[in-house]
Amino acid sequence: MIPTQLRTRLEQHVAAAVTSREAAVQVMKELQGHYGWLTDEAVGEAAQLLGLSPLQVEELATFYEMIYRRPVGKRVVHVCDSISCWAMGGESLLAQLAAHLGIGPGETTGDGMFTLLPCCCLGNCGESPTMMIGDNLYGWLTLEKAVEILQQESRSMME
Amino acid sequence: MSLQKGFMPKLIIDNIAVEVAEGVTVLEAAQSVGIHIPHFCWHPALGKAGACRVCAVKMVDGPVKGIQMSCMLPAQDGMVVSTTDQEAMAMRRQVIEWLMINHPHDCPVCDEGGECQLQDYTIAGGHGLRSYTGKKRTHINQYLGPHIEHEMNRCIQCYRCVRFYQEFAGGTDFGVMGSAGRIYYGRVEGGQLESPFSGNLVDICPTGVFTDKTARFRARYWDYDMAPSVCPHCSLGCNTVPAARYRELLKIVARRNDAVNGWFICDKGRFTNSVVNDPARPRYPLVDGRKVGWDEALDNLLLRIREFGAVHGPESLAIVGSSRLAMEAATLLYRLFAGIAAGSLCYFTLEEEADQARAAITHLNDATSASMGDVQEADLIALVDCDLLQDGPMMALAVRQAWRKGAKIFLVENDVAPEAQKGLPFEWQSVSLLSDIPIREARKPVIICGRGKGMQDVAPALTSGVKLAYLLGGPNAFGAALLSAGHGATTLAQAVASGKVKGILAVEVDIPPELLQGISFIAALDWRATAIVKAAHIVLPTTAWVEMDGTYINNEGRAQRFKKVMHPGLPIMGLDPAGHPPRRHETAPPGGEPRPAWQVVADIIERTGTERDVQPLSGQWQWLRHLDAESPGQRIWQNMKQVK
Repeated sequence: MIPTQLRTRLEQHVAAAVTSREAAVQVMKELQGHYGWLTDEAVGEAAQLLGLSPLQVEELATFYEMIYRRPVGKRVVHVCDSISCWAMGGESLLAQLAAHLGIGPGETTGDGMFTLLPCCCLGNCGESPTMMIGDNLYGWLTLEKAVEILQQESRSMME
Repeated sequence: MSLQKGFMPKLIIDNIAVEVAEGVTVLEAAQSVGIHIPHFCWHPALGKAGACRVCAVKMVDGPVKGIQMSCMLPAQDGMVVSTTDQEAMAMRRQVIEWLMINHPHDCPVCDEGGECQLQDYTIAGGHGLRSYTGKKRTHINQYLGPHIEHEMNRCIQCYRCVRFYQEFAGGTDFGVMGSAGRIYYGRVEGGQLESPFSGNLVDICPTGVFTDKTARFRARYWDYDMAPSVCPHCSLGCNTVPAARYRELLKIVARRNDAVNGWFICDKGRFTNSVVNDPARPRYPLVDGRKVGWDEALDNLLLRIREFGAVHGPESLAIVGSSRLAMEAATLLYRLFAGIAAGSLCYFTLEEEADQARAAITHLNDATSASMGDVQEADLIALVDCDLLQDGPMMALAVRQAWRKGAKIFLVENDVAPEAQKGLPFEWQSVSLLSDIPIREARKPVIICGRGKGMQDVAPALTSGVKLAYLLGGPNAFGAALLSAGHGATTLAQAVASGKVKGILAVEVDIPPELLQGISFIAALDWRATAIVKAAHIVLPTTAWVEMDGTYINNEGRAQRFKKVMHPGLPIMGLDPAGHPPRRHETAPPGGEPRPAWQVVADIIERTGTERDVQPLSGQWQWLRHLDAESPGQRIWQNMKQVK
């Protein structure tokens, strides 16, 4: 169940869109923000808000890699694995981050802080290798820099 | 220049000059001169998706140059196309190899094997040896209900299934999830597919992701007995190809007819094989429940009719046909009626069905009758008393295609229960009267009448340019109505109400028990184990539509020929192995006695002594003899001068 205030806001958002599908990403992101990930319940609620079937919401939810259909940590670390970052060492960066966090790609740290996910191009090729945590985009990465960023992100969550 | 009306681009494909209508793709232009470019995602009914990348051709000269996808490229003036260019062929071969990377080597145990587009084009495209040595992507399959088997590992991501299911047919419970290498076609959770058109996934999948579960592991394509046929399960007359083996109807696939069903059929038409294979079907002539030979049964029938006539008078006998009886037998019923001087001739049992079919033959003519092809092109459709998904599901699909192109759909509020409108694959507006609909403002309006009383109000709306479609009772309801009107026949309900009917000769007809009270003699010809067959004193088994040649006239007045697919007989599948091989020497297979109803009726007429060498489809129906089963059929008005 989502709070009435959130429901009203989403309903208004859907009403303002030309087609309800257009509002789907926003609705899913906000429901994800509320639950921490896009739960089955949230898929049902999105379907009802958007006038789509749960399958049609699932089609969109599973297409976008920043919509999470499984529980994730407090911060999700998206490490780009597309071609520019790969050429600039993105593959080793992902492996090193995995070793540092002690988890594999797709897994969440024991303290529930970080989930590590390889992702498709972040549009930041000029600063590759690159990663994104929440809405923050980081470029020119080395392992040292990346570890420092994780510590900052972790601290900001504690505060 | 290209905006000029009637402009026809001229292009050259593999040194052949081709002229096509504007908007036609290079792939279709090539097909029009017999050059088949391999393709998976493109489908004539669904159009292009550009997903499979197999239909590559080389544009040698003209407005576009280089390697192009022929399904995505409209034919333009001055194009010079090569489908045999080395670069294009290499591209096709490599794309096919790439599509085959994850495809399992399971053709020997796959039901699609032998009728698989992927198999054909992989070979045709020149890919024979796999160079990929990595792991294959695998998926977990879903239960999709009793009719369709799911095997996702075979998928090549052409999107045909989801484009059909959601876009063409309006289903919402099946789709495509994930992205890139994780694409999955299925449902959120396993469960029966909800769309009444789900079976078309089997036909449309270019490989074996969706196969017909009801025919699983039963036969290969080259083993099937097949013939062009027509669906008997409603009045629309969709074209089909039934496939049988070992005297068992295994499955039914759609057959293209643009004027009728297009490329598809509904699940009711596809998955209703069991009636043909039913072990309870009448298989032998019976007299008072005793198995007898044909001669004995027919002699006995004539004797009983004479005895009955002596007691009650021959006028107490009713000859009863139905809307599911093919034209061949239906046209002979009058001669039987005359031959035994029976009192009543009926082509319909109940008044309602007769009234509706009478309305259809009264209001429809070549100009006013709407085919399902016409319905798809309509810009306004009025639904009057329709239960589309019950009485003619494919009509609902035709209405959806019109709606997708922007047609306005109106539903006249009526007696049909509101649940009937649930699940209709289009949006509509409710109105209380037909006259509330702005029919005159439409360019191509169509009124579709169902089985309720509303059809009687239709006449006033029939101004010029309005087309009309009826959903009738059975596959030959239109033909039955023509015969009924031509011979001044009555309905069985009326004849019984008049009190004069004491005996019934029932020819492939279902009769409700209340009409059988006070009937002392029943003879039944049928291929279904109906209540009247069980009650009959004499049973004469007839062949199902797949076991004979025949003709139905569909709801729009289109006569269509169906061909014999299989010999009648007990399916080998259900026989007791102890009795096999049969140790008695017989000329017919076990259970092979059923004969086409028209032959049985002709035999009875001959035995009355009134006629010799009785042939079906004579007189004004003679033109039906020349119908080609592989043609789109012929409307009656083009062939008959006078139709009552």
